[in-house]
Amino acid sequence: MSTIAVEVIYRGIFQKTMAKHITRGIVLAARKEGKVGIAFGRYGDSPERNGIPAKQFAIVADNDEELQGSIAKYEPTEVDVAIAVDDALCKGVESWAWYGLQPVNKLLKENGTLIVTTTQSAEELIPHIHKKELPYNLAVIKGKASFSGLWVYKNDHTDMRVLGALPRVAPHLFGSPALESAIREEWKDELKVASAEKSFERVQIRKVKPEEGNPEIPYSFTMPGWKSMEEGLVVRAIPLGSHFPGHDGGYRPERNPYFKKFTTRTMRPVVDFSKCTKCTLCWLQCPDSCFDVTPDGYYDANMEACCGCGVCEAVCPVDKCVTMVDDTRFDNNNGEWEMWKKDKDGYATWLASKIEHRPERSHGFHHRGQYEKERIEQTD
Amino acid sequence: METQASMDIQKLDSFKGVKRVTVEEYFTSGHRTCQGCESALVMKLMVKAAGPRTIVLGSTGCMYVANTTYYTTPWVVPWMHTQLGSSGSAGLGTAAGLKALMRKGKMKKEPINVIAFCGDGGGIDMGLSAISATLMHPQYNLLILCYDNESYANTDIQVSGASPWGANTTFSPPGKAHRIMHTRWKKNVAGMLAAGHPACRYVATVCASYALDMMNKVRKALSTGGPTFIHSLDPCPKGWDYDPMYSHELGELAIEAGIFPLYEVEEMKLKFYGKTKKIVEGRLKRRPVKDYLSRQGRFAHFTEEDIDYFQKKTDEMWEKWILPGVIPIQPEKDGGK
Ligand SMILES: Cc1ncc(C[n+]2csc(CCOP(=O)(O)OP(=O)(O)O)c2C)c(N)n1
Ligand code: SF4
Ligand code: SF4
Ligand code: SF4
Ligand SMILES: [Mg+2]
Repeated sequence: MSTIAVEVIYRGIFQKTMAKHITRGIVLAARKEGKVGIAFGRYGDSPERNGIPAKQFAIVADNDEELQGSIAKYEPTEVDVAIAVDDALCKGVESWAWYGLQPVNKLLKENGTLIVTTTQSAEELIPHIHKKELPYNLAVIKGKASFSGLWVYKNDHTDMRVLGALPRVAPHLFGSPALESAIREEWKDELKVASAEKSFERVQIRKVKPEEGNPEIPYSFTMPGWKSMEEGLVVRAIPLGSHFPGHDGGYRPERNPYFKKFTTRTMRPVVDFSKCTKCTLCWLQCPDSCFDVTPDGYYDANMEACCGCGVCEAVCPVDKCVTMVDDTRFDNNNGEWEMWKKDKDGYATWLASKIEHRPERSHGFHHRGQYEKERIEQTD
Repeated sequence: METQASMDIQKLDSFKGVKRVTVEEYFTSGHRTCQGCESALVMKLMVKAAGPRTIVLGSTGCMYVANTTYYTTPWVVPWMHTQLGSSGSAGLGTAAGLKALMRKGKMKKEPINVIAFCGDGGGIDMGLSAISATLMHPQYNLLILCYDNESYANTDIQVSGASPWGANTTFSPPGKAHRIMHTRWKKNVAGMLAAGHPACRYVATVCASYALDMMNKVRKALSTGGPTFIHSLDPCPKGWDYDPMYSHELGELAIEAGIFPLYEVEEMKLKFYGKTKKIVEGRLKRRPVKDYLSRQGRFAHFTEEDIDYFQKKTDEMWEKWILPGVIPIQPEKDGGK
């Protein structure tokens, strides 16, 4: 055996502690079996923001020589296990400008395993995940995506449940006894050991064949080298926007073409235009300048740009006019206003079907005592 | 010798209502800030208010690193990076440079807005002397806008002179023996700069939760001319630790609790705005600071005692300061009132 690489794909700062526990736990457990390992974050992701996809890695090897060959890398070129701790990441990730859209299974080896924490089934997730030429396994750990803040950790055992699934999906990494002894030593908590054990039994694994998945070709850019930079390191400004595409009026700003930001999103706003009073607040308060102004004076959130912060829902003064809904219930970034204009009744039905899937929103700290409460709910 | 720069300024009237706000964006989408980053909103509103004939200088911090990710930009107007402590010098130098180029006929004569922004680390700590020096030069037109997210946020949340008492930061983690590791009260930067710079004709505080007020103060600062200063309080989901959808609400709560007063000092005349004005006039009761503190993870370690202390210090701002919310100095005889 040579080295085994695991990557954790997560949503930046609000899942950083959890990702660290997972990669650290992997190395500690492997050491119990006499292996060596290292856990590290991808340098380019720092400073991490909340929402924007980031990665941490755990590399495990039989001996120091093998490990050293793998650790001087910015990012492994292939991994045995990829772990996505938010199911919306299945649509692909764009961590930086010029990255383009990277499929969540991009680095997976043949017959490697993608683990996703989700409340959905494998069948529901596969249409989002980009097709791969090689077969791989999809392992599902049931549960809501766990978000907690920089300072207060939710500690709902999602990290332990991910670790617990590993001896099942990748027994060559380590076995359950090694993991349990590592958890006991590092976290000194029998409940955590129990959570890992339960997950070992409950994790569901399904084979994904090469022809299965999202057929879309992910967008990509060619990154300019330093020789193609202009004198004085000038970067050309974004041009002024112009009218709403296909219409004389309205306004759509030009946007940074090399970073779209929508893969930051786990939720997206849907707008009930029939309720909108055109008060301007969503448009004015969106930190990402997402709203295009329509020719008839509505505000249409541009789904290529929206990072799903939820500010527009929070500021809209009209009840149930802007609603944040689960982004995995969509397979495109189409504009909502044009859909509404074309068929208002159809739009109303569509809107209701999306709002039905509104998950209870928790992207982080709401109030003191919140995590204590949620911890009890999640650790069954 | 010319002392006032009155001639070369743009006349930017207040936006009379949200419907009159410019539709164009000069800071657009595609920046790598956190979800719900209020400072990104400040950038957007700041240049929306200033208009297309504006040059922006930005000192190191989130609004440099996250916005202009490798060889791309969200800026529509010209923007240039400057050193962490140099917003004052870069702004002054740019304003002076424009003036010289126009005087020598190397550039068309036209009023161009110069805005230099800095974070609280860059402006309230490191670059304070350069800002102070710049505010002493009435012959140059520029606005320095400090976006205050109450920490060195870009480098993962270290304490700054603007961090609130008791907040959890990378440099002040609460421990078992010492719960409160940051024991200094927030620096009063707008009050200090307004009181101490006779050549500066406009200093204001803003919060992007009140977008119209904020944009109109930017417009007023730029139209007043000379060196001017605006201090903006920006909720930061990463450093303050809250769900990004609450950015707007936390800004409102800071004002309603009287923690951050909204005011301007124009030609040494003090004027309060919005909810702060109502508080000053006794028409609105301040909300308990607890409503603000308990919604942020950076204060999650606070006990009731800590909250009471925070409340007491906030009450003092309103009950004991000679100019409530602005200047704390009192004559000796009233010292103990
Ligand atoms: C002279 C210098 N010291 C340290 C740094 C590292 N540094 C980069 S950004 C930053 C934080 C700046 O904090 P602030 O001005 O408050 O802006 P924020 O990141 O909060 O937006 C620091 C310390 C630097 N770039 N230059
Ligand atoms: S959720 Fe709303 S406010 Fe946030 S980025 Fe998307 S459109 Fe803008
Ligand atoms: S905030 Fe709500 S009511 Fe106001 S313009 Fe936006 S969608 Fe319409
Ligand atoms: S750390 Fe704070 S200021 Fe920096 S990008 Fe995130 S929210 Fe904005
Ligand atoms: Mg700061």
